[in-house]
Amino acid sequence: MDQIVFKFKITVLIANAFLVLAVFSHVGLAGDSSVKTETESRPARANPLIISLEGGDIGYPTPYNHYPRGPGLYKMCLIFDSLLERSEKGHVPWLAEKWKISGDGKTFTFKLRKNVKWHDGNMLTSDDVKFSFQYLEKNPPVFDDLSIDGKSIIEKIDIIDTHTIRIRISRPSATFLNKAGRTRIIPKHIWEKVEDPKKFNDPRAVIGCGPYMLKAYNKEQGSYQFVAFRDYWGQKPLVDILQFVPVSDPILAFHAGEIDLAEVAPDLLSRFVGNPEFKIIQNPAFWGYRLIFNLDKRQEFKDKNLRQAFAHAIDKDELIEKVARGAAVPGSGGYLPPDHIWYNKDVKEYNFDINKAKALLRNRTLSFSLTIANTRDEIRIAELIKMSLAKAGVEITIKSVDMKTRDAAVKKGNYEIAVNGHGGFGNDPDMLRTVYSSTRTFDHSPISDSIPGYINPQINGLCEKQSIEMNEMKRKQIIFELQEVIAEEIPQIPLYYTRKYVVYRPSKYDGWKYMFDHHEVTHNKLSYLTKNEGF
Amino acid sequence: MLKFYRSLTASGKIAIAVIVAISALGIFSEWISVHPYNLPSGKALQPPGASHWLGTDDLGIDLWAQICHGARLSLLVGICTAILAGIGGCLTGMFSGYKGGLTDRIIMRITDVMIILPDLPMMIVLGAFFGPSLMNIIIVLAFFSWTAPARITRAKILSMKQENYIDAARSYGAGFFHLALKHFLPGMLPIAVVSIIRLTGRAIVAEASLSFLGLGDPTSKSWGLILNHAINFRGIYFTDFWKWWITAPLVAIIILVSTIAVLARESEKIVSSKQLMTS
Repeated sequence: MDQIVFKFKITVLIANAFLVLAVFSHVGLAGDSSVKTETESRPARANPLIISLEGGDIGYPTPYNHYPRGPGLYKMCLIFDSLLERSEKGHVPWLAEKWKISGDGKTFTFKLRKNVKWHDGNMLTSDDVKFSFQYLEKNPPVFDDLSIDGKSIIEKIDIIDTHTIRIRISRPSATFLNKAGRTRIIPKHIWEKVEDPKKFNDPRAVIGCGPYMLKAYNKEQGSYQFVAFRDYWGQKPLVDILQFVPVSDPILAFHAGEIDLAEVAPDLLSRFVGNPEFKIIQNPAFWGYRLIFNLDKRQEFKDKNLRQAFAHAIDKDELIEKVARGAAVPGSGGYLPPDHIWYNKDVKEYNFDINKAKALLRNRTLSFSLTIANTRDEIRIAELIKMSLAKAGVEITIKSVDMKTRDAAVKKGNYEIAVNGHGGFGNDPDMLRTVYSSTRTFDHSPISDSIPGYINPQINGLCEKQSIEMNEMKRKQIIFELQEVIAEEIPQIPLYYTRKYVVYRPSKYDGWKYMFDHHEVTHNKLSYLTKNEGF
Repeated sequence: MLKFYRSLTASGKIAIAVIVAISALGIFSEWISVHPYNLPSGKALQPPGASHWLGTDDLGIDLWAQICHGARLSLLVGICTAILAGIGGCLTGMFSGYKGGLTDRIIMRITDVMIILPDLPMMIVLGAFFGPSLMNIIIVLAFFSWTAPARITRAKILSMKQENYIDAARSYGAGFFHLALKHFLPGMLPIAVVSIIRLTGRAIVAEASLSFLGLGDPTSKSWGLILNHAINFRGIYFTDFWKWWITAPLVAIIILVSTIAVLARESEKIVSSKQLMTS
């Protein structure tokens, strides 16, 4: 008996020793890596670092075939680099080492890095960059950063030398640098032969110059496996294999060690708080739900009083308390969330007041259908909205469909009122223009869903003015004014922006970072790379 | 009816009592529950207590009220489906058995196909296709449940057809409708009732499963849907909420379905013993 216990103890000791060793080796690599970024010889490590995250099919990660939602876009971005990248502080040089903007704001000269290799071994030159801009202009990708209202403003692209390129645009634009910076660079030698990029699905379609290569993709299981690109030009990938695996319950999977990072519901926080094994971070409020009115389908919404009545009849605090379980902030009438760098806190607020709503409705009884996706949160939001609007005398019929059907209905304007939840609320405020000033949606992204039938000359004027204002302070002032007008007009109602909690084990990997304008650490390419002191 | 009740065993009587109680719960739900079933009446996720007997859900709606209202929906779905499928199935079976020949072969091959089709996956597909509403669920469920009563009645009719009194009636010129009304229906009513009771139980479970999988009407408050909302609440098993939020609808479904099963078994026993006596 004693012998057995003794043996058991020995086994435990050995196991513990291994565990401690493993933990220390990871901490060593993940932590103070900035000093020895270059000297660190990656293959020397015995065990490759594998990070597993929650999967789910979100399309083939090419610029044309991912599903138009964040998880699809950012998987594609692991493979394809762009001229600029987003760090915790702002835009940082990426494939473009330096750039120069001419005095009139119309000519951009980009100096490219010299040692950039494609995954197939070819070198990246300014030819590829010129080709990418032209190809993406001709065949708009899923997330189309280049065009404005469906039109390109690029006038001319000149190749100065193999690593310098000059782009001339037809009118000054406050956002062109960011837009050009986000545009994916694709290899000319592969894509120049591709006629229909939406049908281009073979392995060559996922050859980029980014830090990760797609090794396996299973549509049915919704699993992806990315491996580090050894010849990557920039900061070396810290994570050797990044995989997205199917899980049924993320928190259970996290407990079982099947995934390395998971969202924690606010009710479960107490399980992790105070335990040094776990680290909890809270996402910035850049992911939100909005209630969109379709003025084309229901003319009644052209009446500002009706829209304001809706705003007064919806109890945002109740939605946050009951649906988001407290992990959210109420929607601002001016659209930009409180965490946005240009958030105007002085916009008109619509407090929950049924009597005020009734007064604005002037005893009319109306009924509308509300289209939602059949996720738990949206069903609960819809039920609460239905209940409180009923008190004001508005009858709501809930139409619950699956998410892709809802997304398509919103794109086509096939609804009366819709709830849509999406990220991107931290983006450049030029999104106010795509949402409030266009009457048509051009892009596939839910971020740019416009409000069908809403036309307001004052808002259109301000949107136009900010888009060509090159002075940052002046532009900020316009954006502040714009938020005030939008909040007063309330053409749609931002309901709330989520501030979700995320948990991970720092002993396994501690490199998670946010982008300055985005809510998710796992979407950030820099989360998987060695640290750069510069940003 | 009274005779039927008397011939039941003790467990059968208890089953009847429970079903009557649940029906009363459903029919008089507005008066039985203090709180409304569709509006919040307290704080979210309150544990069971004096005011909220079974606690509240994430919106603060009283669960007891929802269970009472859900009883109505479950019984409605169960009984409507069973009657629809029972009547349809019996008529088809009767017709098929009486006509015989090619008609019989065609109808029986169709029932064979329906029996082979895996019903739950098919219901999921059809439920998703036609969209979630109570009416659609009843129709889809009925569409997959008519084969059992059809086969049973057909067998019964085949044996009844051989009886002398049927031959006699026919020789006097009685047609299908006359025979069906005067002889077949009374003869097969007992077995039809048994299969309808069985179908009720099945339909209630099927509705609960569809709703649980999220294919029910998301704004209704059926038991399966209460379960669906509870299960979809992130990390419910790590919290205390499951103790009342999941348990209440689960227990309700189990009680109703098992009592229906007991009743079905009992009535089957009575019917088969009667038939033994008559033959």
